[in-house]
Amino acid sequence: MEKRRAFLFVGVLLVALTLAACAAPAAAPAPAAPKAEIVIGSLNDLTGPTSDVGKDYALGIQEAVRWVNEQGGVNGKQIRLILSDYGYKVPEYLTTYKRYRDLDKVIAVLGWGTGESAAIQPTVTADKMPFVTASYSAELADASKTPYNYYAAGDYSTNARAAITVWYEEIWMKDPRLEADRKAGKPRFVAFYAKATPYASAPIKAIKEQAALLGFEVGPDQDVPLTAIDTKSQVLAAKEFKPHLVWHGDTTNAVATALKDAKALGLGADHIVNNWGFDENLAKLAGDAAEGVIGIGVTAFFGDTSVKGMDNVIASAAKHNPNVPKESRLIRTVQGWANTLLLVEGLRRADKAGKLTGEGIKAELDALKDFDVGLGVPPLTFGPTDHRGTSTVRLYQIKGGKIGLLKAVDMRAKYPDLWPKWIGY
Amino acid sequence: MRLPSGVYHETYAQDHAWWQTRFVWIRMVLLGLILFLVIPYFATSSGQLYYLTLANTVGYTILGAMGVQLLIGYTGQVTLGHAAFIAVGGYTSSIAMLQWGIPYPITIVIAALVSGIWSVLFGLPSARVKGFYLIMTTMAAQFVTVDFIITQYVSQIGGRGHYFSLPPGTITFGPIEIANDDLKLYYLMLALVIACTVLVANLLRTRIGRAWIAIRDNDIAAEVLGVNVVRYKLLAFFVAGVLAGIAGAYWVSTLSAISPEHFPFTWSLWLVGVILIGGTGSMYGTVFGSLFMTLVPEILKSIIFTLTPYHPIFSQLIDKFLYVREAAFGLIIVLFLLYEPKGLAYRWAQIKNYVHLWPFSY
Repeated sequence: MEKRRAFLFVGVLLVALTLAACAAPAAAPAPAAPKAEIVIGSLNDLTGPTSDVGKDYALGIQEAVRWVNEQGGVNGKQIRLILSDYGYKVPEYLTTYKRYRDLDKVIAVLGWGTGESAAIQPTVTADKMPFVTASYSAELADASKTPYNYYAAGDYSTNARAAITVWYEEIWMKDPRLEADRKAGKPRFVAFYAKATPYASAPIKAIKEQAALLGFEVGPDQDVPLTAIDTKSQVLAAKEFKPHLVWHGDTTNAVATALKDAKALGLGADHIVNNWGFDENLAKLAGDAAEGVIGIGVTAFFGDTSVKGMDNVIASAAKHNPNVPKESRLIRTVQGWANTLLLVEGLRRADKAGKLTGEGIKAELDALKDFDVGLGVPPLTFGPTDHRGTSTVRLYQIKGGKIGLLKAVDMRAKYPDLWPKWIGY
Repeated sequence: MRLPSGVYHETYAQDHAWWQTRFVWIRMVLLGLILFLVIPYFATSSGQLYYLTLANTVGYTILGAMGVQLLIGYTGQVTLGHAAFIAVGGYTSSIAMLQWGIPYPITIVIAALVSGIWSVLFGLPSARVKGFYLIMTTMAAQFVTVDFIITQYVSQIGGRGHYFSLPPGTITFGPIEIANDDLKLYYLMLALVIACTVLVANLLRTRIGRAWIAIRDNDIAAEVLGVNVVRYKLLAFFVAGVLAGIAGAYWVSTLSAISPEHFPFTWSLWLVGVILIGGTGSMYGTVFGSLFMTLVPEILKSIIFTLTPYHPIFSQLIDKFLYVREAAFGLIIVLFLLYEPKGLAYRWAQIKNYVHLWPFSY
């Protein structure tokens, strides 16, 4: 009896798997895609360690594509988006990318993390696949090495340089509470980031360079994993150095943990945060500890109707995901929109020129000059060797639990001689 | 070994042969043809290199899981830190290539040895502790190696920044560049998997393998019988480390990059899951488990992607379907533990028996 049941189980499993296996190759010719359809793939983290920011970003992409389709698509062609979760697992990132390329025949891909996106670049370049990443790593903006990678934002390194510069100029040089320290000597700086995570370590070299330029004394790095729920030992280790300023290079959850521990243990430093660690949730999670924290926003925050296109974002969110309350939507949605709209612009121009191929899209994106994607993103300009779309960085500060603009700074205008040298790291 | 009637063994060599009947020979030749010719031909002729990438991922999982199988399935030493030894292999190979310009094939050997020695270091506690306590010490291997030594110190070697990227022209076999070429990687994977399988399968039927199995079944009885338990446990850790080192060196070539993120604790757990589903104490189990754990998520993804364009409801539900995929995968694992606790390898043996005895099974 038991044997029979076991056989039945195996039988059912085999049938199911066979059916599934038959379905797999059928995917290639089958999608009854009308000719006027453009397929794009998206790789997202909805379940892994960066899902705290990844889920909302994915929602933004989906809503943006639906909105574009509702507006008539790309010159009348509808976009079919294939979005998949890879749970921040590198092998699955690779296999899914190749699946998109070979089976789904996508024309462009929206990518996610820094490490895996950088590692896949040689393949992307060989495939001539436009690749729009949520990783704003400066390494990916060096178009002489990664010619097919784009993003609609300032790069991490420029952002980090801007953050430390603005803190130095606006707080260190001006704030009366630091007057005694200012007279006593140099400002002290420490970086908190996940050393093992390429996203977090990407701008470290740049920010330390900038710290040296501004005359900071740089303390020992503290390793805070993305999944950290306790950072007391890191905070205590940093406390010995008595820093005036701490850089947080992780995503929101880990940054909130570090801010809370820093307050509880009386670290007494100011905080600057990279863009994937600074959003509406940070103020909610860290509470009082987030007060006065300065962070980078690469787009406007969700619901900021003073910028162009935000009404579409809000309307689409309400229309397509009514079950997600507006209050819990984040800047990540807007970042998803910005990247999608950049890609769509490339598709539209390439289609108009009659060259809807990877090379055609690249040529059109490289030719973009002061392109306004809206949503609070500074005008974007790309070139065949430089994919740093913008040099303007907007810094925000949390005051009374609300995020407000502190200062926008154009790093190219500020350091015109250094700007060309900063490419690639 | 059960033989069909009319087949007799006349020499010890025949008695010890791997493939004893013509049927098995034909089966293995067919398998070889499929692996070496049919799959590559199918994938390259249709331009769907995705299937080769998938095969390479399966191969990488087999190489990683084989060491876990050896430790858990054959020697009874539970390990939850195997990703650490794969990481050691990967980093050894990368650093040897980047810092000293050693050719890739030689770095595979160096990686295997370094990883083996490193594994022995963390196997040392097994002389004193067993069961849950050993799980803790192997977990320590994961955190000490990957999160501490590799992340904080090894990653800083050469000042390359957050992760090591191997430039084109680094990963070569003689004049042939293999990085970023799925077909060459596939053949490299086949060669490594076959070599490791032959090595381990043969090792298991020598004195060493029998000693391991004796330790697994009852270590006190094994000691009474004259097996040097500590030595054989450490040997098991060494061989498992060697296999992990080979896996790590192979991984470097599939991505041309390496970062501590590639070897998380979850990957160690995943490898244990592979042998639990495939079947502990079986070489087939390693292969079946790797196939299952790699292909089932991909197949589920295929089903979801295939269904999406046909009905508007699927495109609206696509984000929800992603979770269904994760949930379905979890459900399959639970079903396995409930109904198939001995793994796929046991079911494979049952099917073979059934076919063998058909139509007169009991």
